[in-house]
Amino acid sequence: MDKQLEKLISLHDLDVMIADLDRKDIRKRETDMGLHTVGALEELRELRENYCKSISRKWSGLYNQLTKHYGNAVVPALMGRCAGCLTRLPTAVCSNPDRNQKVHTCPTCGRIIYWAD
Amino acid sequence: MKYTVLSKFELSATSRHEAITELLELFPAGEKTRSLLSSALDVREQVGATVVHNNIALPHCRSILVDKLTVVVGRSEAGIMWPSDLVNTVILFVSPVKVNSPQEHSKFLGHIAGKIKKFGDGIASAGSQEELLKLLDFQLEEQGE
Repeated sequence: MDKQLEKLISLHDLDVMIADLDRKDIRKRETDMGLHTVGALEELRELRENYCKSISRKWSGLYNQLTKHYGNAVVPALMGRCAGCLTRLPTAVCSNPDRNQKVHTCPTCGRIIYWAD
Repeated sequence: MKYTVLSKFELSATSRHEAITELLELFPAGEKTRSLLSSALDVREQVGATVVHNNIALPHCRSILVDKLTVVVGRSEAGIMWPSDLVNTVILFVSPVKVNSPQEHSKFLGHIAGKIKKFGDGIASAGSQEELLKLLDFQLEEQGE
């Protein structure tokens, strides 16, 4: 898998983790279980900032723009379609076994696409 | 809420990272997906170990790499350093990133929290896989309600 694509997927999961710990209900559940949440949230935000620096400006810029617009920047391809907007993706890309070897975007919504292995 | 439960009762891992990797080997996913999930779970652990009760660890996250809530319950006779507490039971779960999934994730956390509060000592000392899964109210098959 393309290194930038890996990093974009990990950045997305990191953003989900931050958003979850920022939610009252999840934070309360975790705190009730004795988990350390306040410090964890700050550390995750710091980690995110540093992690972003390891992604090329081109892709991190697109990621941030898409997240701002749609709420999610990276989506899987499901049955040849973009899971974000359901547009059918080009057959030549979907049938290529090396499709995860570069970063692909949906031709309609622009979201970053990956194919599950 | 639908979820899949998997289990490994004899973990050979001795460290937190090894235990997460060993449990993820049971996930119905490819090597790259498992590796990215391992990284996500490691990040969560680095900012705060998820030891929730004497001898029980609960590594968890939500990820775009899974399309269904998946739980793996693991047990180690010798114990696993997590990283400074010794745990013998690991309940690892990954929820998908979907519209209602934060609520589902929260609900599932609540389910596990309730079971640990009620049967924590029993879960940590369960003598068989069946007993452990029964206390957690899990069955080794797809669940649905």
